[in-house]
Amino acid sequence: MTGDKEIVSKQILPYLSPPLQHIIMHLNDRFFASLEEIRLRSGQPLIMKIGDKDAAVNFKGELARSLDKAYVVTSEDIYRTIASISDNSLYAFEEEIRRGFITVQGGHRAGLAGQVIVEGSQVRTIKDFSGICLRIAREVKNCAEPVLRNVIPDGSQILNTLIISPPRCGKTTFLRDITRGISHAGQHNVVVVDERSEIAGCYRGIPQLDVGPRTDVLDACPKALGMIMAVRSLSPQAIITDEIGRMEDAEAILECINAGVAVISSVHAGSMRELSRRPVMKSLLEQKIFQLGIVLSRRKGPGTVEELIRWD
Amino acid sequence: MEIKTLGICLIIAGFGMWGLLGARRIDKRVWQLKSLRMALGFLEKEITYMQTPLSLAMRRTAEFCENEVSGLFKETAKTLEKKSGITGHEAWQSGLKRLKYESDLKTIDLELLKSLGPQLGVSDRFEQQKYFILIQEELKLLEETALAEAESGRKIWSYGGFILGAVIVILLL
Repeated sequence: MTGDKEIVSKQILPYLSPPLQHIIMHLNDRFFASLEEIRLRSGQPLIMKIGDKDAAVNFKGELARSLDKAYVVTSEDIYRTIASISDNSLYAFEEEIRRGFITVQGGHRAGLAGQVIVEGSQVRTIKDFSGICLRIAREVKNCAEPVLRNVIPDGSQILNTLIISPPRCGKTTFLRDITRGISHAGQHNVVVVDERSEIAGCYRGIPQLDVGPRTDVLDACPKALGMIMAVRSLSPQAIITDEIGRMEDAEAILECINAGVAVISSVHAGSMRELSRRPVMKSLLEQKIFQLGIVLSRRKGPGTVEELIRWD
Repeated sequence: MEIKTLGICLIIAGFGMWGLLGARRIDKRVWQLKSLRMALGFLEKEITYMQTPLSLAMRRTAEFCENEVSGLFKETAKTLEKKSGITGHEAWQSGLKRLKYESDLKTIDLELLKSLGPQLGVSDRFEQQKYFILIQEELKLLEETALAEAESGRKIWSYGGFILGAVIVILLL
């Protein structure tokens, strides 16, 4: 069994309903390496994201030629999958459901769709689930190795770094590998403020993905709050966080940097031009808060380094 | 003659025992309904305050409650612990099968408990609490009806068995 097939078989399959388990077990082995998402929508065809392509899959586990030839996901499939993911205890996952996803063992994420119940301006819960998006978490160890020496040029000082990329270009995977790299190099304490549980993929507070031996994770913690908490209580040399963009994130970054803590973060943008159109980011760039920019793309696959920019 | 007397005694004692067991059974039903109500109260707290995963909550409830009804929670916990894609509803049904075998509950009692199955673990704490409160109130009503039935039926069963035995003896003679 290949490594990717083993991950899916051991960590994803047990959560699925029996018909879905049968389908995935019969998928061609070559698809497992690039299987990114399994999309379950009640009454709709089973669709998987394999690499860049969306593929409908039939009951035999073969790619269907058209959507109407694909296996139709039933409400029973959704019900059983939700029951397994939550260990038949949805009440114990209220916070996760409010955020719209549950992280399962292995760091994989089940995004949830259904009827959203709102109280005031806050989401209270989701019920009558109609869809699940299972996103498979993958580590690509050493993918950031070529740029790590730019992030820690002399092995001790860590540069404030911004990873710039459009969605699905591997910036979270890249960020995780940088975290692991810094944690292994030298004597640096690293704190990951993982608001969406994507960097460390925590399951019940324990990182499921390797973020290094000197890394603490503030899982599901709002970024701005987490950065300040980390500076005050965990004495880090570097703080890692994902997808900054709000004013409070910028303020927290300034606090950290003025406290002598390096910040490494990612941001959604296709290019520097796009980035500078965003007021918060423009202000941070003008103040020369970040010293290094890494622009990623999918040109040669996820995590292709397009450009390294020095701002200092 | 001695054999005849022995036969009469055996018939009357046999029917009398059957009557006494019947009386005991209707008394036990009241206690079992009460035990179940208290156990469901315990389970409700485990779910709504402690947010204990369902299998563990069932296991703890089984330890908390009376032997005669603990089978329901033990069996449900056992089925859930297998983690073989079984839903809370299916596990609860397996527990009810065991309860039916081990308890003196009537079909109406089991039907009420069955209605809890589809709700187990599939909603937030607030919703779960609503179902648990409702089912405990309905169990309380069943308990009151069962108590009234026990009070009127206890004597009928206790004496009825011996009387029936005596009647059969007279008919045979």
